[in-house]
Amino acid sequence: MRALARWLAEHWIAVGSPIVLLVAWEWASATGLLREAFFPRPSTIVGHLRSLVADGTLWGHTATTLVRIGWAFALATVLGVGIGLAMGIWRRLREGLDPVFAAIYPIPSVLFLPIVSFLVPPGEVALIVTSAVTSFFLVAFTTTHGVRQIDRLVVEAAVHYDARGWRLFASVLLPGALPFIFTGLRLGLGFALIVVVAVEIVSASRGLGALLWLSWQILKVEDMYATFFVIALLGAVLSYGLAALRARLLPWVQDVAEQ
Amino acid sequence: MGLAVPAALLALWELCSRLAIVSPLYFPAPTTVGWVLADRFAAGDLGAQSLVTLTRLAVAFALAAVPGVLLGLLMGIARPVRDAVEPYIAFIFPVPKITLLPFLLIILGVGEPAFVLTGATSAFFQIVISTLGGVQTMDRHLLEVGRNYGAHGARLFWKVILPAALPTIFTGLRLGLGLALVTLVAVEFIAAKSGLGHLVYRHWQMLSTPEMYAAFALVSALGLALTRGLRALQARVLTWQDDVGV
Repeated sequence: MRALARWLAEHWIAVGSPIVLLVAWEWASATGLLREAFFPRPSTIVGHLRSLVADGTLWGHTATTLVRIGWAFALATVLGVGIGLAMGIWRRLREGLDPVFAAIYPIPSVLFLPIVSFLVPPGEVALIVTSAVTSFFLVAFTTTHGVRQIDRLVVEAAVHYDARGWRLFASVLLPGALPFIFTGLRLGLGFALIVVVAVEIVSASRGLGALLWLSWQILKVEDMYATFFVIALLGAVLSYGLAALRARLLPWVQDVAEQ
Repeated sequence: MGLAVPAALLALWELCSRLAIVSPLYFPAPTTVGWVLADRFAAGDLGAQSLVTLTRLAVAFALAAVPGVLLGLLMGIARPVRDAVEPYIAFIFPVPKITLLPFLLIILGVGEPAFVLTGATSAFFQIVISTLGGVQTMDRHLLEVGRNYGAHGARLFWKVILPAALPTIFTGLRLGLGLALVTLVAVEFIAAKSGLGHLVYRHWQMLSTPEMYAAFALVSALGLALTRGLRALQARVLTWQDDVGV
């Protein structure tokens, strides 16, 4: 109790500010200061959120989005870590692929949807592959960097002690690159969410992005806010939750701050 | 080595497309795309569409950079401001900014302000976070040395805090510009009727694939030029960023 009081004394502004904002919003929408058509009252939004949850709509769309994020992230992880490690180990491969990656990376992933839909069956598969593109690059870049920043002395010492091939890889290179790989995975997961939602807005009929876009098209503003809230919550859980999980499960692996 | 691999890949693509190993409809030969690119630039419309995207990007970036740096600095200097604003930044930052588009479309109507502001928000949050980070992670010794030499208030800010935070601020601006470009092109793809993103969408729908790839290549070139250019600029302008240590 006392700890809570102390925490509140320290953080009262951070706690109070959103409360004040919500109350002010509620009041301004109720009195017509804000147009309710654009800014429905928070209490109305909560009501809509509740009914969307109650009739199962929200669960269905959230589950669809989560499954897509899972597949896209898995694809990006397997390919990104694999190719990233290979690029870290073989200089020629890295030098060859660097310019290709540099040219492709700045392209917004949504733009890949047309090309991907020429390559694989359009629909679910195309959506997932498109969503994996940006995450793949992030994971590959950080993994390559992770291998390259390993102290050369460590590698040479290992080689002197006859660690070669698989052993060198499994007991020196992979553990050495692990902190960077984790940072890449965390960033990649965040981007998987972003791109899945964006691609859902463009082309899907299910999923949170699609729900948001359809709510806009039929001007169900309260549902838009409710969906937005769920997407924001998902973003918070994915980015802050993963950091907390890593700190708990793998306390010895530090997260490399991204610049 | 260098550009050998990209050149080899393009040559392979050319060959596969010419020999119809891959469908030339979906994957037109790079030379065909190159001709269309030159042709469209000569006709003027591709240049005009690039200019539309660039103009949107410039406005979005300006709208994000000025308030973003100011807010970030303010949050870094004044603890109450940081406490009051940080919850919102933390809540909105991981959200895909493209989801703000429908809200802005409703509030501002379908048009440029909604498109540009969506791009601006994605840069804004990155810039605020980097600027705040720049102030927070600056070497504390610098502050103490500054104070010992009698720098307070505005002087301390201009002579010590700002220069120390500047490299991180610049990195934030660079990242922000990249994010604004990505979001803007996605917005164009989804909702606008002009710009490079819209070109990719339109030519996809019409299956005029050479034009589609031409627009695609331009987006890539634009992104590459911006990120490379700013990185070079950063190295040149902020020459002190590697020796801030006292």
